[in-house]
Amino acid sequence: MSLIQTTLADKVLLMVCIFLSFYSVVYVKEAMPKGTEVRIEVDGKLKYTFPLNKDRTVEFSGVMGMTTVEIKGGKVRMKEAPCPNRICIHQGWIENGAIICLPNKVIVTVSHPGSSKGPDAISG
Amino acid sequence: MQSADRYRIALLAAYALALHGFEALIPTPIPWLRLGLSNIITVITLFFYGIKPALTVTMIRVVLGSMLLGTFLGPGFFLSLSGGLAGALSMGITMALFPGLFGPLGISLIGALFHNIAQLFTAYVLFVRKTEAILVVLPFLAAAGTVTGTFNGIAAKYLIQEIKKNRS
Repeated sequence: MSLIQTTLADKVLLMVCIFLSFYSVVYVKEAMPKGTEVRIEVDGKLKYTFPLNKDRTVEFSGVMGMTTVEIKGGKVRMKEAPCPNRICIHQGWIENGAIICLPNKVIVTVSHPGSSKGPDAISG
Repeated sequence: MQSADRYRIALLAAYALALHGFEALIPTPIPWLRLGLSNIITVITLFFYGIKPALTVTMIRVVLGSMLLGTFLGPGFFLSLSGGLAGALSMGITMALFPGLFGPLGISLIGALFHNIAQLFTAYVLFVRKTEAILVVLPFLAAAGTVTGTFNGIAAKYLIQEIKKNRS
């Protein structure tokens, strides 16, 4: 009578599966479509649209005064702003989402041009 | 096929169905995360009877199971169907191509892997159509599939050993 055993191939396969599980976490983080477009709105009106992958510093006037936004290495930050509490500056570099400077009425968003508004998930 | 085998395959399908229903009662942290306990039965069927009965057992389990749970022809049904068939087919084909190379553990892992791939693909084609959403769940599914696949494979291994002992 031959007993069913766990073979060497089983163990190798298990190792591969564990490795793939960890690797997929890293891979997916890299492959996730990042925001590609920086949109700067002043007082509710779209003022600039820049690609995120091109470094530049842009100065413009917000509602309160001169404002500087810096794009560098796929990230964007509010470099200088005339607002009193500097929340927007303290937010630092972002590659997703938005920086909102309320007193100055400046909104910097990083958007994906291709993203659609579908359901987040469907559970069965 | 002997009639005794037919009864046994029907019995295996009933076991798979029971596990499928039982599993739906177990709460999991994420709604779509399932343990895949009925895959234990699919593996056992494969080792004793081969690919066709394994597919039969899977089909019975998926169709009757969805009717019992009230998800027949709903979104969950198609995910279950594609996953179940892909799992059974991938395991059967692997066993046919490399006889004796993998034990129940490896076969179960392969089944879990292809089950998840097929489900993600179905979810993409039928429902989500968003590569990002699919990519986000991929690592979780891969990790969950490895854990449940290992557990189910070990369970199937011991069950197959017991059945063989009792037969001889």
